[in-house]
Amino acid sequence: MAEDIVDVLIIGSGASGAAVAWSLAETRMRIVCLEQGDWTNPAEYPSTRRDWEVQATGPWSINPNVRKRATDYPIDDSESPITVVNFNGVGGSTVLHSAHWPRFHPSDFRVRTLDGVADDWPIDYATLDPFFALNDRNIGVSGLAGDPAIPAHQPPLPPVPLGLMGETIGRGFNKLGWHWWPSDSALITRDYEGREACANLGPCSSGCAKGAKSSADITYWPAARRAGVELRTHCRVREILVDENDMATGVVYYDEHGVERTQRAEVVVLACNGVGTPRLLLNSRSARFPDGLANRSGLVGKNLMLHPWGLVQGVFDEALASRYGPAGCCLMSQEFYETDAARGFVRGYNLQITRGTGPVATARAGLVRGTIPWGPGHHEAFARRFNHSFHIGICCEDLPELHNTVTLDPVLKDSHGIPSPKITYRMSENSQRMMRHALDRGTEAMKAAGATDIYTESPVRLAGWHLLGTARMGRDPERSVVNEWGRSHDVKNLFIVDGSVFVTSGGVNPTSTIQAVALYIADAMKQRLANLFD
Amino acid sequence: MTEAHRPRIDTLPLDAMQCSILDLVLDMIVPPGPDRRLPGASQVGVPAHLMAWAPQLIPLLAAELDRLAAESRSRHGCDFPALQAAQRQALVDAIRLVEPGFMRQLALETVTCYYQDDRVLAALDEPLRAPYPQGYQVLQGDLGLLAPVRRRGKMYRDTP
Repeated sequence: MAEDIVDVLIIGSGASGAAVAWSLAETRMRIVCLEQGDWTNPAEYPSTRRDWEVQATGPWSINPNVRKRATDYPIDDSESPITVVNFNGVGGSTVLHSAHWPRFHPSDFRVRTLDGVADDWPIDYATLDPFFALNDRNIGVSGLAGDPAIPAHQPPLPPVPLGLMGETIGRGFNKLGWHWWPSDSALITRDYEGREACANLGPCSSGCAKGAKSSADITYWPAARRAGVELRTHCRVREILVDENDMATGVVYYDEHGVERTQRAEVVVLACNGVGTPRLLLNSRSARFPDGLANRSGLVGKNLMLHPWGLVQGVFDEALASRYGPAGCCLMSQEFYETDAARGFVRGYNLQITRGTGPVATARAGLVRGTIPWGPGHHEAFARRFNHSFHIGICCEDLPELHNTVTLDPVLKDSHGIPSPKITYRMSENSQRMMRHALDRGTEAMKAAGATDIYTESPVRLAGWHLLGTARMGRDPERSVVNEWGRSHDVKNLFIVDGSVFVTSGGVNPTSTIQAVALYIADAMKQRLANLFD
Repeated sequence: MTEAHRPRIDTLPLDAMQCSILDLVLDMIVPPGPDRRLPGASQVGVPAHLMAWAPQLIPLLAAELDRLAAESRSRHGCDFPALQAAQRQALVDAIRLVEPGFMRQLALETVTCYYQDDRVLAALDEPLRAPYPQGYQVLQGDLGLLAPVRRRGKMYRDTP
């Protein structure tokens, strides 16, 4: 028996779904969100336990193929040098992300015009600026105004502590005359809106027991639910249904007991990230859409961008207490962010300073990298690195390319029998040149800061956080999947609000921009409610 | 493996010779510290850790320990524990060449267990507690270091 018809059905409760739910709640429409995962209990996060490091490698791994929870789905990334990482639960990947929160630059929305590659977005930074600010206030973002690398904005809270390591690399950047700035961070450095301030627990990427990291489950969802949005957990959507008029009519999903159900809806909003969204669309085939729902352009699942990640570890003679502090949030350099053709590639990258690691992670990484040996040299090599090292994480902007894809795996399925996503990705020549440049500059920075030993690695495999581009926005239905305010060109009551809609990837962690885009799309919907399907 | 699914066995299914060889191999991965503040890896409960976190290694472990025992007898005519340190090292190095995956995994699990031991953490001046709820103090840092960056002025590109 079909259930009743809701006004808005949101699929996915992560960064974008949560923001849209909160924004649309003021319309008093009946809004339901289906989330395949569950709420997390902060008391269960690894940082509440003595074995916090081991927990992060197993049950709380960022890799779903390792975590293997019932709420996860396997991902075939055998044809990608980058492993997709995520979290499936209320709040989505914000539950396990590192909360590094830079914004896209204005130039990131005009890549074709400025640099002659890829495409321009149909929207610009100025359009998103108020939504960036709204989002920062809503969730609690810490940072320092005055960064000359980005248009002026005022984070609501003071920046995260730099630590001795931050001062050390800052002096190194100063020696080189390079830009650096304390990072905007989606965590609260002061008590904020009933939440307690960050206590520098450290492992942000295995969940924040303090509630200081501004993940969607504790920021948008409480407010959205108070405003009447219904969030149903353990509900995994299998396909989106469409009628003979190319209008979405609802979804088929499996409820918490594994029973197949249908939820009818007037409007469907997809917020399943750059892998989950194309997966669902491709699995929603019909006579009207034999190549997948909303895919008449043929672009669903294509132009996958993952931000190839590089790593430079610097080891210092000085004890830096480097493992303490929010692991992914300290400061960054955007010296090489904007295009300079003289470098031999277009676009640019961000240098994100990340903290040192705990004892277990330091030892494990040292063994894998060959920098900490077995036997007599072990203790000395370990002591040289533990609390004496930190990292530069290199976020390279990769360009949209049709051969980088998310498709349905022919064999692999999730626990409900839904085909898993298959990732096919290779780094372009431009990305490779960019990465080589970035590794050299990262090494230069570490040396300028006084590092006595440097290790580099690229691409880092376990770094596929940023899932972008697979249902891109644009004004031309033949060259995009959704229009400039997130509505499908092919299905007039279907909206996509996650990183799938990104036209280009920028060179920074995208979630700040993802949530700004989501809020912008929700606002566009609210302004057009009277003629939303025209 | 979640805590609820960990088997409640603290001893590996190994015989006395295998256990002796395992202890020696573990101390080859992480030996006791030179000043004796740090134990060797044979003293930190690696068997229980393997049972809890890497049970898939156990069958391979028994087989490789038996291989070491057999190699010791065939090459040197005595048991592995009776060999000189350099002879033991050579045999283990040979195993690392032919079974690199297994030995790598054993080493990773060994250090994972080792660097959770209270004696080791105390020697590293690590507080013996979970991060939450106390957290840690971190130097706020001198934002005056940003002066040269402020002086540079606007860096981002305008768009038409």
